[in-house]
Parts: sequence; C-alpha cells; structure tokens
Amino acid sequence: MTASPPWQSQISTGSALTRVRRRGRTRRIVAVAVAAAMALAACGQRPSESSGSDTGKPIVIGASLPLTGDFAQPGGEAKRGYEVWQNMVNAKGGVLGRQVQLKITDDASSQDTVVADYTKLITQDKVDLLLGTFSSLLNYAASSVAEKNRMVFVEPAGGATNMFTRGFKYLFFAQPASAPHQADVFVDWVKSLPEAERPKTAAYPIQDDPFTKPVIQTMQKDLEALGVRTVYSSLYPADTTNFQTIAGTLAGKKPDLIAQGAVFEDGVGLVRSLKQLNYSPKALFQTSAPSNAGQYSDGVGVANTEGVFYTVSWHQDATTPLNSEFVAAYKKAYNADPAEDAADAFAAAQVVQAAVEKVGAIDQDKIRDWLHSNTVQTILGPLSWKATGEPNGKFLLAQWQSGKAQVVAPAEVATSKNIINPKPAWK
Amino acid sequence: MNRLRALPRAHLIAGLCLVALLMYPVVNPWEPYPQAVLLLGFLLAIQASSWNIISGYGGYTSLGHSMFLGLGSYTAGILALRWGVNPLWVAPLGGVTALVIAVLIGSVVLRTRGHAFVIITIAMLLAAQIIATNFQSLTQGSDGITLELPFWGRDFQNIPFYYIFLSLLVLTVLFSAWLRRTKFGAGLVAIREDEGKAASIGVNTTRFKIVAYAASAFMIGTAGGVYAYYLTFINPIGSFAILGSVLIVLATLTGGRGTLYGPVIGAFIVNLVSEAATVYGGGSQSRVLIFGLALMLVVLFLPKGILPTVEAWCRRRHPAEVEYTDQAGALNRGPVTTRERPLPEVVAAGVADEGARRPGSGDDPPLLDVRGVSKRFGGLTAVDGADLTVRQGTITALIGPNGSGKTTLFNLITGGMAADSGEIWFDGRRIDGMRPWKRGHLGLGRTYQVTRLFKEMTVQQNVVAPLPDSRWRTMLSDAVHGHEADRARELLDIVGLGRMADQPAGSLSFGQQKLVELAQVLMLQPKLILLDEPAGGVNPSLLGRLTEVIRELNAAGVTFLIVEHNIPLVLELCDPVVVFSHGAPIAEGPPERIQADPVVLDAYLGDDWRPAATDPPAHHSPGTATGEVVR
Amino acid sequence: MAQLTQAIALGLLIGGVYALMASGLTLIFGVMHIINVAQGAFLVLMAMVTWWLWHETGIDPILASVITTPLMFAFGWVAYRLLISRVRGSSPSMSILLTFGFAMVIEGVLNVTAGNKFKSATPSYFEESFRVGSISLPKAQVFGFLAAMGILGVLFFVLTRTWTGRAIRAATQNPSGAALVGVGASGTAALAFAIGSATTGVGGSILSVLYPFFPASHYDWISRLLGIVVLGGMGSLPGALIGAGILGLAETLTATYGSLSWSTLVFYIVIMVVLLVRPQGLFGARLREDVT
Repeated sequence: MTASPPWQSQISTGSALTRVRRRGRTRRIVAVAVAAAMALAACGQRPSESSGSDTGKPIVIGASLPLTGDFAQPGGEAKRGYEVWQNMVNAKGGVLGRQVQLKITDDASSQDTVVADYTKLITQDKVDLLLGTFSSLLNYAASSVAEKNRMVFVEPAGGATNMFTRGFKYLFFAQPASAPHQADVFVDWVKSLPEAERPKTAAYPIQDDPFTKPVIQTMQKDLEALGVRTVYSSLYPADTTNFQTIAGTLAGKKPDLIAQGAVFEDGVGLVRSLKQLNYSPKALFQTSAPSNAGQYSDGVGVANTEGVFYTVSWHQDATTPLNSEFVAAYKKAYNADPAEDAADAFAAAQVVQAAVEKVGAIDQDKIRDWLHSNTVQTILGPLSWKATGEPNGKFLLAQWQSGKAQVVAPAEVATSKNIINPKPAWK
Repeated sequence: MNRLRALPRAHLIAGLCLVALLMYPVVNPWEPYPQAVLLLGFLLAIQASSWNIISGYGGYTSLGHSMFLGLGSYTAGILALRWGVNPLWVAPLGGVTALVIAVLIGSVVLRTRGHAFVIITIAMLLAAQIIATNFQSLTQGSDGITLELPFWGRDFQNIPFYYIFLSLLVLTVLFSAWLRRTKFGAGLVAIREDEGKAASIGVNTTRFKIVAYAASAFMIGTAGGVYAYYLTFINPIGSFAILGSVLIVLATLTGGRGTLYGPVIGAFIVNLVSEAATVYGGGSQSRVLIFGLALMLVVLFLPKGILPTVEAWCRRRHPAEVEYTDQAGALNRGPVTTRERPLPEVVAAGVADEGARRPGSGDDPPLLDVRGVSKRFGGLTAVDGADLTVRQGTITALIGPNGSGKTTLFNLITGGMAADSGEIWFDGRRIDGMRPWKRGHLGLGRTYQVTRLFKEMTVQQNVVAPLPDSRWRTMLSDAVHGHEADRARELLDIVGLGRMADQPAGSLSFGQQKLVELAQVLMLQPKLILLDEPAGGVNPSLLGRLTEVIRELNAAGVTFLIVEHNIPLVLELCDPVVVFSHGAPIAEGPPERIQADPVVLDAYLGDDWRPAATDPPAHHSPGTATGEVVR
Repeated sequence: MAQLTQAIALGLLIGGVYALMASGLTLIFGVMHIINVAQGAFLVLMAMVTWWLWHETGIDPILASVITTPLMFAFGWVAYRLLISRVRGSSPSMSILLTFGFAMVIEGVLNVTAGNKFKSATPSYFEESFRVGSISLPKAQVFGFLAAMGILGVLFFVLTRTWTGRAIRAATQNPSGAALVGVGASGTAALAFAIGSATTGVGGSILSVLYPFFPASHYDWISRLLGIVVLGGMGSLPGALIGAGILGLAETLTATYGSLSWSTLVFYIVIMVVLLVRPQGLFGARLREDVT
C-alpha cells in the first residue's frame, strides 16, 4: 500500500518555536481566506431584480450544449443551428435593432454541469435570453433552473412525456409534437389505407429511451384501436449491440409491420439482422434512425433503405419560410447537409426571435404570455403551444425512396406524391 | 498536553476554511453560480471522504461508488412521489437504502480477499442502472422521475443546498475522523497493510470490510437524496454514471488517499479544475482525455496524493520539529526495562480465570490439542497426520529441521490455512473450522518468523489494533486516547519500547519489530502464544529482554509454543520439547532427554552422519535460519 | 424447440467471441495480478483501426486481424514497459486506476480523432447466413467464432507447448520459483501483457463486424469481460471459456424467453450467486493465505 496512514496529519509536531512561527502563518492563512472570500464577493444584486438591459449593447443569448460526452453529436449540430441563425439575424440587422451574441458553454453531457452552466448564464453572465440544450436528460435539469429564475426556456429537444407534466410556465418545446405524438402522422396514414391493405399484425421492438419509447407506445395503442394485432412488443436496453435474437424472434412471428423505436445504431443493427435472417416485413417504421441520411444508408446499404418509414420534425426540401436559406447557409458554413438537430435548434432560436420582436422588449413574462397565445412560423412549420409548453402540431411522415428520404405526408408539404407499400424485399 | 496543543494544525486550517465557507453566502448572498460550484464541490468531497473509508483506510478500491448517490436520489425521489413529502425530509432514508445495499453486496463479495470486489462494484453500478431502467413501476424507467422545484424563493435558490451539503460534508469528515481514531479504523488500515496478519490478531476482516463499505455508503446516500432535489430530476443514466465514480477516485487520489483531509482537498481541486475547463476550455472534445490523463499522471507521479506529499516536503524542510517531539517523548517517559516493572493486570486479565500455574508440570490439562492433522501442497505433504499436545502453563518448544512443517503447523493452528484432515482443539473447543480472528478471540495469538507488522502504522497503532473479542463496543472504542491506548502503552513498556510508540513500525530494527509483534499479541489477552523463531535475527541484548518477558508472562499463566532453532535458548527456556520431522513429531520430552535422543540427531543431521556430537548443529544458529520452505 | 436450438447455437457462437476477448484479460491477471481495465478500450481501438483499414482498403475486417494482432502485441509491450511496469510494485488498486485512466485516454483520443459516432464494418458476407436445418447462423458470427477459436487454440498451444508459454505459466503459478530457474519476472510479465493485448487485435477486428461501436463502448465491453473473468475465476483460462459461454447463453436465452433488457442483469445475478457459493469463481484457485 502506497497510501499514507490516515493519522499522518495528526502526528504531533509541536514546539514552542514552531508554534510561534505557526501563529504567524495562521494569521496569514486567515488573511488569505478572508481576502479570497471578499474577492469572490461580486456585486450584490438579488436574482429577482432583473437588471434593465442596456439597449445599446448586443442581446446576449445563453445556452449550454453537450459539445462533449454522450450527446456530443446532437449538441454539436445544435450549436451549428444556433450559429447559422445568429449570423443570418445579425446580417439582417439583428433583433430589435440590436446585434445578437450567443454565449454557448459545454456541459459535457453532465447534469451537474448543465445546472451550473445555466445558473451561471442567468445569474452571473446575466444573459438576456435563454435557449435550450439537447436531450431531455439535460433539459429536465436545465429547464428547472430557468423556471426557478423565471426565464423563458425554448428547448430544441426534450420532448419526453414528463417534461410537460411539471407545470412549468416558461418552458416551450420548439418541435411540432412531443414524443407521444410524433408517430400520429404514421397512424393517420395507416388509417387512410383501405381495410385490406392495412397491416394485420405488428411487432414493436423499442429501445428503452425516453424519446423513442413514448412514440412507439402511443403508436401501438392507436394501431391496436385500428385492429392491428400486436404480436411482439418489447423494450431492449440502450446499449444493446446484438440484434440477432430480436430479429430471430421477429422472423418467427412474421408481423406485417415492424415499428421500431430506434435511436440510431440500433435501427441499423436490426435491419442488418433482419436481412441476415432474410425476413422482410411488409412495412418497416423506425423512429429517428433513418433520418440520419448518409449514415443510415451507409449502415444498411442504400438498396435496403427502400420503403422505410420514419417521422421527422424537419425536412431539407421543405417549403417552409427561410428553410432554403437555412440549408444554404448551413452548407456554406459547414460544407455538409444540415442535420435535423441543427434545424430544430434554428427553429428554437426563431421562436425566441419572433416573440421578442412581437413583444418589442426583453421581458420574460411578456414573451412567455405572447408565446402561449400565438403561433410562430419556423422552418419546421407553424408552432404553437399548450399551457404546459407542449406543442400542438404534427411531425412529417418520411419514407426512403430510391436512395433518398422524401416527405410523403401530410400531403400539403409532401415532397413525393407516391408512397411505397408494401416494402420491397431486402437486396 | 503537548500533544493536544500540537495536534490541531491541520484541524486549525480546516476550521478556518469551514468558517470562510460558512460566511461566504452571508457575505455574498446573491450569487447563485459560485454557490453552485462550491456546493458541487461539497458533494464531491462528501463522496470522496466516504469512499476514503473503504478504499483509503481499508484499501479496497470501489470503482462504482457513485451508485450510492444514485440509490439515495432514487429513494428520496420515489418516496417523495409516493408519500407526497419534500425530498429533503426523506433524504436520510436514501442513506439507509445505500447502507442496506452496501451490506448486501459486501456480504457476498467481501468475504474473500482480492480483486473480485473492485470488479463487482463496477458491475453493481451498471446493474443498478439496469434495474432503475427496467423496474418501471417503481422508478418510471428511462423517463426518470421529476421532482417539484424548491419551495423557497428564487433569491435564495442555492443557499439552502449550499448549507445542507456543507453540513453533510462536515458530518462526513467528523465521522471519518472518528472512525479512524477507533480500533475499527486501526483494523481497517491493518487490513490494507496485511489482511492475513490482521485476521490473526482478532480483526474480523469480513465484518470490518462490510461495515466500512456500509459506512462509506451512508453519507453518500443521504447526499443523494438532497442532490435529487437540487437537480429536480433523476434518471438511470445520470444517476448511475461511471464518470461520477471516476471523479470520486480521482479526487481522493489527488488529495491523498487514506488521509482525513486529502479527499476534501482533492474534491475541490478536481471540481474547480473541471469547472474551469468548462468555462474556459471552450468546448473541446477532450474532457475524457483530460480526466484520463489526470488519473494516469496522479497514479504515476503523485501516488500518495497532494496532502501526504506536501506534508513530507514540510517535514523535510523542518526536520527539527520531528526530532524535538521524539526527544520530548523520550524525556516524558524515559527508558523502561521489563525487569523493573511488574506485569500489569491488563495482561494477566486474560488468563486470570485460569489461575497462575507453575510451568513444566507434565500433568496439566491440555490447552491445545492437535489430532492427526495433515496438509498437502500439491505433491508435497508439509504436515503429515501430526499429533501435538500443549499443556496449560508450559513453554513448549517445537524444533526440527528446516522444511519439517513447523510453520505450516502454526498456520493450521491459527487459521492462516485450512487443514486437509484432522482436528485441532483449543481450550476445550474444536477450532479447525473457525476463522482466524475467532481463534484470536479465544486467546490464541502468534508471531511470525519474518515479522509482519503494519509498517505504515506507528508502533503504538500496531499494538492497539488487535481485538481480544468480537464485541462491537471493543471495535468502536477509542484507539488514540483512553483505556485501549493506555493498555497499548503499558504493553510497549513491558517489552521496553515505550519510547518508540510514535515511530512508524517500518523504521524499527528487526529485533525491535519482534518485540512489538509480541506486544501486539499480548493485546489479544492470549492464553496461548505461538512464537515462530522469536530469537531469529535478534541481537543478544534484545534477546535477553525477550526471554525475560516470556518468563514473566508464563509466570502469569500464559502458555507458549515456540518454534526455535537456537537450541541453547530452547533448552534453557522450554519444557517440554517436541521434535518435528517430515511433517510429524518424532520425539517429545524434557529438554535433557531430547538432547540425548539419537532419533533427534538423525532427524537433524541425516542418517549418514552419526558422530557423538554434543553441540547443537551449527547451521541452525540464529540469524542464518531463514526462509523455511513450506510450499 | 427450434427457437431454443437457435438461441443456444447463437449463444455459443457469441460466447466463443467473448471467450477470446476475455482470455487476454485473464492471462494478464494470472501472470501479474493486474486487472487491465483498458482491455475494453484496446478492443474498441482495434475495432476502429480495423474499420479504418476496411474502409480505406477494402480488406476483409476479420482478415485484418493479421495486421491488428501484431500491432496490439507491440502496443501491449510498449504500454507495459512505459506504464504498467511502473506500478507493479505498488498496490494492485493503483494498476487498476492506471489502466482505467489509460482506457479513458484511449477513449478521448478516439473521440477527438474518429468522432463520437457509431461505426461498424460491413463486409459483403455480412448479411448472409448459413442454414442448418431450422436454425440459421449468420456468416459473420460464424467466421468471428472460428477466428476466435483459432486464436484461442494458438494461445493454448503457445502456453502449453512452447518454452515461452511454459515460462509464462510458471510465472503464474510460482513467481519466485520461476525466477530461480531463470525465468525473468519482468520479461515474462511484458510478454504476457503483450500476448494478452494481442488477443484484443483479433477481438477488435471481430468486434468491428459483429457490433456497432463508438469510443465510449469500451465501458460496456470491459464490464462484460470482467464479469466473465470473475465468474470463471480470475486468472483461469478454462474459467474464461466457461464464463464467456454462460454470458453468451444468458444473453440469447433471456432475450428469447424474456426481454433483452434483463439479459445483462441476469448475467450479474448469475455472478453473484456463483460468488455466494464459490467466492473464488468457478475455476478460480482459492487465494492461498500468505505463508512465510
């Protein structure tokens, strides 16, 4: 054992001489401690006294994003989305005639840090406005800091069910639908099919994840109401890497529809395993995974994407206002296709911008009230909210067709008029 | 007196820091952010200090300690939801849950020595995460549990949490300080230093380790309940993250593992550095890299941690202080010789009921009875159906050539090894199935051929560590002051080493270590002491003191079984003498008879060489008899 | 019935791969009583290298182990000489913490260089299966299993039939005795560490095909491997084989007849029950109390 004995600090080391010397040292320590306490003591303003924002300065918007750690990927995209918005807004003269300045910190995907970060942004940096972070895990903690400090909190992600049961008044989710309603548009499509063409049986493998679970669980309930028999419904853990057993079970049950609550890699993994067993359902629905365009088609092979359904909050080719500008600016800045997460972040910023401009001042309570009673046009389409901050809209139904993701419903925003049904066999 | 005044240096600084921290929110109340940073520092310090109990004092590294924070969070969160109470009021129940789970895990994993523990702690952290994810009806699964916002006004948002965590930290440090002052704390360090030896001096290692694990869990669990309320949200991934455990380990190692304040210092360093990295690091992808590098650098270049390193440096800079202390100690007590001091009652207490007997009378009742005991190591039979009886009040010698199985027999008697067959009876009870400490509690003590003192502990702590019984009161009694410490002093005085009490045991000469080991055994209030080559490597003057002590103890009723190669000493001191060869006794009797027994000479010198030697064989002289091969 | 056979067949195939991955860990522990927590990170590192090779050159990922294995051997040797040897004298927990830090550094480096994204190598045969009666065995899984068994066979041969291997085993069983007959403790340890690391070369290559991975995956892997080693008995090679088989079966059987969510937990429960009955694991030698 290399550690020292615990009583080492207790070994008596006293002499009259050293005690005198020590007393001097003690005094110095006291002085340093007091000085340190004083140095930390900054200006004393109660958190509840909001400082009148200096209208000459830029509007500072604070956000903490998971730039590292588990959620680094969506966090990085969100940062890009926010920055694209900032540059576009500033190029057009800013908000309320003031330039916009983003203050983005990294929370390393940690709850502790996200709480400290938002506390710092609000009380220390005294930012004017807040934008949300990524993943419910972090937004749960972050939104409560904002709520405590009565700051409007527009989150680009975090549609988990519990988010909207807490009675928060300053929370707004800037996507068209919360998790339980993200598959509504798919159910609507099934409903629109003639009885004979509807799937008779369905299987629901679901990753145990707060976003995907409610999507599929609601879908299962709705489809069961339509008479689709459930032959399999089971959660698998987030770290599942081997889908052969699930695929084997599914192949044995032979469902018409497989609706998977997939995040990303698990979506790819299940398709591969199904292909290995050569079982192709008549319809395949997956949450999230197929929306990661290039990565998904690389993972499962372009040919095998044909006919796969998913729902999404945003589509690159959508005809919503500003969308083409956003895509162009993003491509120019980062030389890549924008991800959905970046678009969601952009939309969240749009929501804040619209409210501030309509209210005409940075007044958190007025912004909140305005958002509760109005609809905001974003690149995701129109957004409006219930009192809980839960959005009222619906997602887009997308389908992979000829190696490209197309929006197939609702009809008014569809980029492709035809829907592949049934799905062709694996190639 | 001197000691009292000298002691508080570290405590004084700690106290000042505490006052500064207590004052801080008063001086500067409207700054929730630095309060948040500090309170997270307190939280990490609570965890690091607690972790230090099992992994610093006890030496059993837990890599899944953040599990207890999650358990506490979940307990408080679930109860708050079910009962509709504020999570703060049920936070201590979080501690209780953590404690219960620690006892359960500990009872499975800590029964043996070795590495399984560290691995199981990681596995249990992950298992806790899986359970929290899957036990939906209780934990709401991966959705997590949301809690109400704090009931106090937004102006005070972090101040209550600040003071709660600070109080918990103070309690944790006080608890840790108290623990290490007890015999329990001494026993933990003993386990860290040499677990087998600890077991032989009556330390119930299984119980000690489980209690330490539980003690290290409770405060974290309680803090977890408060933490849940602070975050207002708990979920399986956040609550049972392995990175949390890494931070605990990193903090304690940085500050100084096994010290009282080291974990606290380390926690603040780690916390502030990590916060600075967040604020100034500018979103690099390298956070894991930085923590990993920090951990490696600390292990490689600062293995003892900052606090002990700084202390060592200070001691090098002011060597005079240490010298002065030694001198003071020496002046206070002066040299003590065994001859001038009567045997204190504390030693005799253990054998008082047996009554003082005169040694050497052959028809005394047997105290130790070894019946047909065998032990094999692979193909080698070290002890072969040995029978041995040690009668009450005797000083029995066990002699025999190297490799004849004497030390193995000792190990079988004291429980260091399990016999393959045969029975061992001690004081009317069969003991061969008992754990070593149980045998120690019955009054069976031993010393080792190569001393096995706890080298990083002081001499005094070495002597205070043994436990004569299994009572909790003994275990939790004060080891620094009071009755137990006084007894240790007296025992040290008996062996004439009272003035060395505050020296690290590792700095003593070999002979002095042998005497300290004897004093250590006396702390057990033994009825029978097994001495393994007490004279080996001991200089003549110390040897004289040793034999004096043995005689005095024997006169007071303590029985001895001695393995020794110094034949003149054996003949002078012991009666009867048992001769061991090839794993079994071949002769027994009074020294005079053994001396003349041809069988004995055969055993020692082989069949080929049979002179009329009267001298004991030269190659068994003390000092050269090393490394008896037992395997 | 077919379902059961399928689950058992898959479980054994998976278990074979686990066995290879755990063999290096148990070998290193056996020889030098060091738990190499970075073993999982080695695996992921090699999976990443394999993926990169496959992606750039199109070389078959499992065949890429011809490159990754010697690479890992050298890497292990250097890592031992530069890092591990420095903590050999100190307490065992220091080596655990050192290798833990090492694992985090590898994870961090992979994060920076390869990005925090899931990757997976998909050779042409990836989607195909062998069909044996009613059960189907994915080709990649079968090839991975065969590669694992082949390497385990080689490892077994080296350990039992060559002087080097005997030296390593001697050092495992009796370090001081081995030193007496001229087996240098330090050289043997470095060799054992290098061989133990080399198994992650093949292991990582197989992993890249069978499982999607990303830098932080190593926590999953190391906890699985440590579980296997504890279950089988630390330092025991047959124990690792059996432990790996049990894990593979626990995973497939729980997933088939229950929910995949519980499969890891079932495995941990098996470990705890085994430890309750046999604290030293299935094949572990009881720690002999120190004998002076």
